[in-house]
Amino acid sequence: MATAKKSTIRWPAWARKTHKWLALIIGVQALFWMLSGLYMTAVHIDIIHGDALVRPAPVLPIDPASLRDPAEILARYAAASTIKLDSQLGQPVFVVGEGKKRVLVDARSGAQMSPLDQAAAQDRARAHFAGPGKIVRTELLSVIPSEIKGRPAPIWRVEFAGRWRPTLYISPQTGELVAKRHDLWRMFDFVWMFHIMDYEARVDVNNLLLRVAAWMAVATSLTGAWLLLYSFRRKRRVRKPAQG
Amino acid sequence: MFLIRTLHKWFGLILGLQFLLWSISGAMMAMLDAKKVAAEDSERAPPALSQPLSPIRLASLAQSLDAPILRARLRPLGEHYVYEVETPLDLRLFDAATGAPVTIDAPRAQALAQAGYAGSGAVASVEKVEKVSGEVRGVTLPVWRVAFADPDHTTLFVDPRTGAIHHRVNDTTRTWNLFWMIHIMDYPNGAGFNHPLIVTVATGCVWLALSGFILLVRSFRRQDFAYVLDPIDKLRGR
Repeated sequence: MATAKKSTIRWPAWARKTHKWLALIIGVQALFWMLSGLYMTAVHIDIIHGDALVRPAPVLPIDPASLRDPAEILARYAAASTIKLDSQLGQPVFVVGEGKKRVLVDARSGAQMSPLDQAAAQDRARAHFAGPGKIVRTELLSVIPSEIKGRPAPIWRVEFAGRWRPTLYISPQTGELVAKRHDLWRMFDFVWMFHIMDYEARVDVNNLLLRVAAWMAVATSLTGAWLLLYSFRRKRRVRKPAQG
Repeated sequence: MFLIRTLHKWFGLILGLQFLLWSISGAMMAMLDAKKVAAEDSERAPPALSQPLSPIRLASLAQSLDAPILRARLRPLGEHYVYEVETPLDLRLFDAATGAPVTIDAPRAQALAQAGYAGSGAVASVEKVEKVSGEVRGVTLPVWRVAFADPDHTTLFVDPRTGAIHHRVNDTTRTWNLFWMIHIMDYPNGAGFNHPLIVTVATGCVWLALSGFILLVRSFRRQDFAYVLDPIDKLRGR
């Protein structure tokens, strides 16, 4: 290798050297960042959220005269602090909130409906699902899967036939649609893991690995910019010991 | 390999700046604590209310509505219980005990913000935000903006339809918003991160990273690792 005179530093060689060593360490992750970023920007977030998987909620006027008195519901559920009136399968229902607990009540008869059985969960899932597919699998999960982390257990998981394995999660306590998932969402979650480098829980955007790697990426792009200064010449550089 | 080097160089020249901006903004967001960005330290749990003694029946509210009820919710708001009633036309609040309409005006928005605020600052200003800005992205407008006089300039946004605290920001959030805007190339504010410009540049940068990766194979020689490999060879007795 050509050696420089003692008093001069060969800046282009230094730029190349630092750039290539930094790239050796960060190169794979840089590629992951770009590919995951491309996926997340190219597939629209509304598609990821599965907006097209479900039908819009039907506009169903409720006749308030036919409903039970909320005072009666409050008297029955002493810890209740909220009551939500909604329609499910065309029938008015109350979702009663006792702290974090939820109870589903028929708003006309006052009868408690929760926890919902498999058939009731499937009926609700079918009413929401916008695709043509039939239900292929229904199970009551007592452990919350990572794709709906943070939601209360137990939960009905209803999977439909169709592209990207569409799956609706129905709460047995409220009868409500809790989450909708398909493979495009699952892919997004997977590449998000690579993007934020939290290879365990996929949530921590402040982890040390990410911080170190991100600053190394800054250094790699800066040394790359530095290297660009020497990379565009009218004539190709002649390999010679550096001149002063 | 010469072709790849040339391509890497030219892609670097054209897209390098965005690559640098992505790495700097990404690194800065990684440095800003997510809890601080969400202004979680300013959150105060609402006071626990005892059950409303005798909420009126929804039927008695129906007369004051111009449209049929689709959904309704009986819930605490501040120190009282309210009915939040959804019709095809709008969302309205009523006092659950009297049935009187409840509007979230400036004093009410201020009181609700104060009840949900755990910091030490006094209210500095209350205003109605009608236009999209970095602080109110993806929010149904208008929204009440209640600013507090604390070192972090904590600001709470109150939904005028429901009285709920929609979100909260502080100076860390604002810094984060700036880097996020750079990261998603959201220069015409509010376009989100699914626009043609970012997809095009990201595609180019995939090639920038991939070509760089290929070049790595050719850029290293045995002598680059001599300080590791030589002792190993020696141990093997070569």
